[in-house]
Amino acid sequence: MEILYLLIPLSVVLAFVIGAAFWWAVSSGQFDDLEGPAHRILLDDDSGRDSRRTPPDGGD
Amino acid sequence: MPVSPRAFAAASTARPLERASTDRASTALERCFHCGEAVPPAARWRLSLDGAQRTFCCAGCLGVAQTIRAAGLCDFYVQRTEHAATPSDEHDPWSQYDLVTTDGARGSGADDRREIYLLLEGIRCAACAWLVETYVRRLAGVVEFDINFATRRARLVWAVSQISLSSVLRAVVEIGYRAYPYDAQRREALARREGRKLLTRTAVALLAMMQVMMFSVPGYVSSDGVEPDYQRLLDWASLVLTLPVVLYCAMPFFSGALRDLRIRRLGMDVPVALGVGAAFVASAWATVAGSGAVYFDSATMFIALLLVARYVEFRARERAGAAIEALARERPHTAERFANYPASDRTECVAASRLTPGDVVQVSTGASIPADGEVLAGCSSVEEALLNGESWPRAKAPGCTVLAGSVNRESPLIVRVTAAGDSTAAAALSRLVARAAEARPRAARIADRAAAWFVAALLIFAAGAALAWWAIDPSRVLIVTFAVLVVSCPCALSLATPAALASAAGALGRRGILAVRPDALEALSRVTHLVIDKTGTLTSGAIRLMAVEATGSLDRDRALAIAAALERGSAHPIATAVRNAGGRAMSAGEVVAIQGQGVEGVVEGRRYRFGRPAWVGALHDAPLPVDAVADATAICVALGDSSGWLARFSFGEALREGAIELVAAARNTGIAVSLVSGDRLPVVEHAAQLAGIAQGVSDATPEVKRAFIAERQREGHVVAMIGDGINDAPSLAQADVSLALADASALTQWTADIVVVSEDLRDVGRALDGARRTFRVIRQNVAWALVYNLIAIPLAAAGYVHPLAAAVGMSVSSILVVANASRLARIGSDAARAASEPRRAVAERKAPEWKSSTC
Repeated sequence: MEILYLLIPLSVVLAFVIGAAFWWAVSSGQFDDLEGPAHRILLDDDSGRDSRRTPPDGGD
Repeated sequence: MPVSPRAFAAASTARPLERASTDRASTALERCFHCGEAVPPAARWRLSLDGAQRTFCCAGCLGVAQTIRAAGLCDFYVQRTEHAATPSDEHDPWSQYDLVTTDGARGSGADDRREIYLLLEGIRCAACAWLVETYVRRLAGVVEFDINFATRRARLVWAVSQISLSSVLRAVVEIGYRAYPYDAQRREALARREGRKLLTRTAVALLAMMQVMMFSVPGYVSSDGVEPDYQRLLDWASLVLTLPVVLYCAMPFFSGALRDLRIRRLGMDVPVALGVGAAFVASAWATVAGSGAVYFDSATMFIALLLVARYVEFRARERAGAAIEALARERPHTAERFANYPASDRTECVAASRLTPGDVVQVSTGASIPADGEVLAGCSSVEEALLNGESWPRAKAPGCTVLAGSVNRESPLIVRVTAAGDSTAAAALSRLVARAAEARPRAARIADRAAAWFVAALLIFAAGAALAWWAIDPSRVLIVTFAVLVVSCPCALSLATPAALASAAGALGRRGILAVRPDALEALSRVTHLVIDKTGTLTSGAIRLMAVEATGSLDRDRALAIAAALERGSAHPIATAVRNAGGRAMSAGEVVAIQGQGVEGVVEGRRYRFGRPAWVGALHDAPLPVDAVADATAICVALGDSSGWLARFSFGEALREGAIELVAAARNTGIAVSLVSGDRLPVVEHAAQLAGIAQGVSDATPEVKRAFIAERQREGHVVAMIGDGINDAPSLAQADVSLALADASALTQWTADIVVVSEDLRDVGRALDGARRTFRVIRQNVAWALVYNLIAIPLAAAGYVHPLAAAVGMSVSSILVVANASRLARIGSDAARAASEPRRAVAERKAPEWKSSTC
């Protein structure tokens, strides 16, 4: 059970690392719009690529 | 953070200032008295203030302090909880704002008074708000100045003849703050920052909560206790994880409690801060000392769940606000103005606010229209969702009016500006809404006061419980007191009302229903009698072609086409109605319009007259057909040539869209409906019959209308009045709650309690329904909060509630209240529309429009 002396502090350190990662994610704006991206994935540009009117310039 | 102790120290030591400038080591620690920045070594900015010499970091701070001293507002330095912001010495950017306001566009009254909303920067505590408020109110020419501490917004009313806006803004800078004319973008940036902070706090607290809970599980599950060594390790780990929760995540609660106490008020942060603070200090002490119970798990869980509730509330508030903000935000900032229309095609890009009536602008496809105006050239469809909640674009052709903020969908338009900047319809509405947002509804004020009393009672009760347990079992004092403080839910009580009001206002705002006065929704929810004005409200006000009956050799379509050709150039209401009814394109020659009679002209070689039957009959001297008895509810127009009568047209007013549904919906909810009008009895009766209204008055002067409403009020009714014109103003004022439609005159909108931006009367029904639902939710919320507290607090005081359970119960109660309120966000959307749709279909089958039988 001595391993707890390593694991418990390690879990605390881990919690701080996760906290820091989350702080970075929030401050870089990843949580500003929680709804837009869900719609954007349905509406993105590749519909234009399939469309007959604008044929792909490179071809795929 | 508090400044007073250090200020006191500086005053008592009376340090030798001459030496300070030579001794670098000691001055490096010296801080500016005003802003708290480090004072540069060679600083010479000093001032005697509050009976002592103060040192400042720069001339700016010194100047600010001098201004404050000269104004006799030194109390600020005693009361403040934070250092002031460092004033910056940038060049004078304020005078540009004078341009915005000197044109009188923002006039709020008949005289030279102007009203504007300012966004304040640098307000950090209640003392700052007090300082700015007091200082600005003393300026000559400032009529009103109120700061909303929560939103950092201030409402300023000033007299232009005595003071300019820039002088007020400069005065705010003089005492170290900044004020900007309210700008939606800036507000959004502030809101985003706040949202990010709150989200980080919530997530950190949740993370710590999970981990701390894991550390405390062994203590709960093991039957004979964890080995002391391991328990100490777990306690220390919990302490390390709880530290950021208390110091960072719970900061808003502590600073809120401090602020409340400083202004001698009891808010809901006080018991929270007390409970968390006591639990943390006791647990930390137990951990360090190595004996005693720890409550880290309860404390972190309490804060985490409380933050979740706050975050949910913040999101609901933001969503509600966004709908209303959109009104102001969507107006574009620039416009493409023709330098010399129509002589040249050259356009220049100018600020939308610099447009003046008469300018001609180009609106490209997909762009927002920069100002209210009239289409000169181009045909397109324009989406006015912002203004009336109608997502279906409307067709626009030359001659149509377009409103600022609507989006041009199909092809470019050339528009002549009729109103720009702050005089556009959208700007006027957003100003009305802003005014409503500043004032707090009575219901919310009562809830606030009740919450303060509740907190006071709670603190006394907790103290009583603590004393009682001290006598019974001293070892349980802390756990019971903590449970009492935590389990009580003043949050639910003080959130119950504002959360529901904000949610409803947002939902109604999205449908284009704007509650302009704070108490409007409450009054609307109690309405028992609905009074509708006829012309322009129940009916659309425009004349419409009801029926065409061919009486001669021509068929109906050809008669209509000839009439349309004759009326092509006329602006008469009947001409417009004929043109709107369509007909093939034909051209007429030698057209002569006879005032009050009709038009005469040649179409395809034949001479026709279109107008009053008597005048048309003079062309051929044939007698009028027998059934042509004038119908009192319709206007009769005849078409004829030299050989005889050709066709009979009847025109009438059409019911406004949704009128029948509104009356039916009101009747379903037990609201009586009556019609008032200045029109003749048969016309009013006809309209009432079509809409399904049983009672009302005709031939009414404004005074009679007002008396009619007063009579209903004496009978015990709560009366709502829908009106549009200036002549309705007395009745609108008499009614308990008044509604104005979008095309109502500006004055009517200004006096109305609720402005319905769409032209659809069904939205009035939605407003009625929404108001009722809002107050049902408020009642549910308050009832829940009361029942919960009445049961939970005595249980906690009796020692039956573990702090952990208390934390869960309290937070769940808060979240429940907010979630119940956010059900209101769906007012008038899918559910309500689905409910009104079948009724509408039935109504349309019965009476598609206001038809007159014969003419």
